[in-house]
Amino acid sequence: MIKKILIANRGEIAIRVMRSCREMGIKSVAVYSEADRTSLHVRYADEAYFIGPSPSNESYLVIDNIIEAAKISGADAIHPGYGFLSENAEFSNRCEKEGIIFIGPSSYAINTMGDKITARKKMLSANVPVVPGTTEPITDIKEAIKYINEIGLPVMIKATAGGGGKGMRLVAKEEDIVSAVTSAKSEALASFSNGDVYIEKYINSPHHIEFQIVADKHGNCVHLFERECSVQRRHQKVVEETPSPIMTDKVRAEMGKHAVAAAKAVNYAGAGTIEFITDNDLNYYFLEMNTRLQVEHPITERVVGVDLVRTQINIANGDLLEFKQEDLKQNGHAIEVRIYAEDPDNNFMPNPGTIEHITEPLGLGVRHDGYVFAGYKIPIYYDPMISKLIVWGSTRHEAIERLKRALYAYKITGIKTSIPFLSRILDVPDFVNGNYNTHFIQDNEELLKLKKKSSQRVEDIASIAVFVDFLANLNKHKDQRFCKPQSGSWKAFGRKRNVTRL
Amino acid sequence: MGYEIKVGDQQSDIKLLNVDGNVMEILVGDRNYKVDILEAEKGIYSIIYEGISYNVELISKYKKKYTATTLYNSYDIEVIDAETRYKNSRKKSEDEDSAYISTPMPGKIVKILVKEGDKVKGGDTVIIVSAMKMESEYKVVKDRIITKVLVKEGDNIEGDQPLIMLE
Repeated sequence: MIKKILIANRGEIAIRVMRSCREMGIKSVAVYSEADRTSLHVRYADEAYFIGPSPSNESYLVIDNIIEAAKISGADAIHPGYGFLSENAEFSNRCEKEGIIFIGPSSYAINTMGDKITARKKMLSANVPVVPGTTEPITDIKEAIKYINEIGLPVMIKATAGGGGKGMRLVAKEEDIVSAVTSAKSEALASFSNGDVYIEKYINSPHHIEFQIVADKHGNCVHLFERECSVQRRHQKVVEETPSPIMTDKVRAEMGKHAVAAAKAVNYAGAGTIEFITDNDLNYYFLEMNTRLQVEHPITERVVGVDLVRTQINIANGDLLEFKQEDLKQNGHAIEVRIYAEDPDNNFMPNPGTIEHITEPLGLGVRHDGYVFAGYKIPIYYDPMISKLIVWGSTRHEAIERLKRALYAYKITGIKTSIPFLSRILDVPDFVNGNYNTHFIQDNEELLKLKKKSSQRVEDIASIAVFVDFLANLNKHKDQRFCKPQSGSWKAFGRKRNVTRL
Repeated sequence: MGYEIKVGDQQSDIKLLNVDGNVMEILVGDRNYKVDILEAEKGIYSIIYEGISYNVELISKYKKKYTATTLYNSYDIEVIDAETRYKNSRKKSEDEDSAYISTPMPGKIVKILVKEGDKVKGGDTVIIVSAMKMESEYKVVKDRIITKVLVKEGDNIEGDQPLIMLE
């Protein structure tokens, strides 16, 4: 039985894991770098151990230091969270060797799914659809045309040695095939001294849809339905929701079966995610598998009603899954947005600094997974994500309205955050109608820009606030209660009550 | 001389006419506002004007330069007093470009591509700074000479700190 877990991570995910530990009566052990001495995960945990200087390659990524902390604390298991060492096969191996339970998959599963070519071959043998294409270079143009007609246009011609868009051609019409292959070949030869090209089906308006799976060590594996993650900026997810607005019951059941088959193909145990690339007609293809807990796992937890961290711990303990596929249902709709310390109106420039004030949204159907507090200085060494806001509604419409309300109430001062940008996403018609793909942000660039035009009145009100703040900070007003609330009114009331015996 | 307020490129006079507890009368340009104003939380002003409730969040990097955020908008606002006016009048006589390279946010120096005495061309990258796993390149706008390098690779820096002096 696991009695004490070391969490080899920081930030919101470390706290998220510790919450489940606390509920299960399991002791939690934090590790921290120099920059994180005052971080919330250190204060929330039962025990905490220092593991090195601030840069993550000298602390959170140093396997030896983490193993040492686990031994000193007597932790019987390690939860890696996401990022850092979560998909490191060497770390998984090392834990096993040291007799510490790794709450994650085996090194075999990590390695097989981590390599694109072996993963693709595994999936083909498990009958999971992959993006159609040739794995061998094209030698005969007639064969190529025949093959393209089989998988259907449009296709991409890609250089096997390729990169940076060189030696790549998009072919939409049959008569262009010959010229595209020839020119791609010569460009590839010129750029990489290797003229080999191959064919891959081009997915128009792609959606990123992923399936959550969990599998125990006894061969039981179920899926917990999909997450739609198509709102992305530079391959970074911004908004995730479940169910997907484009999903149908029939395709969901099929994709779920394929997700389970994919996990079983590598004898997977634990929680994992199968990512699919999907087109507008719901043709879907295996993209990759993430062998860890995802950032966006809370939306699944909310809609399916399963604590994924608790499930991970139970699986690591060797327990049987507590539920079967037919027990699981999607209830209502959940949306998550990620709040980053970055300036959306200045090319998303990272914006570390000190949080002056934070008001977290509360109320029905709102979950907030974060780790910052007033006075906390966000370190420059780690990811700029500061929190995740997750809302639930009985319908998608209700969930969007609730998220708008929650973002309205969410105030962070001292640094710039992506909150205003997220609010604008919720007003874009394509999002409201559920009609979007991974091009959403670039397609709606204009609508997502800061509205420069505003009324003279709002501008003046902002100017007044600045001017009054400036005056308040001038020495001559410092000792007066210039525009400051009379904060002692409760105290005054108390004093008065004592005297007058109200 | 009184104060001026600069919003983006627009500049107007601003004057506090009257204070009665939380209620202040303020003239912005030729527009007169009688507002109920309180700093409700640190950096957040609650303003009630003609029955409408406004929240303005302020981030101040220097004493007089602010970013003010309302529900839907964000403004760069500066209070111009006699001191600023004096400094501005001096700056214009020299050159419009700044005398040094700096970053708007704290971070770590990844690479310095120049040394003292180097002649650089407009558009050349002189320094690379990383913050939160993102690297940004900083370039010179015009042809310049590097007079002094104030930091070294691996240094942690604050925002708006001079890094490289230019001639």
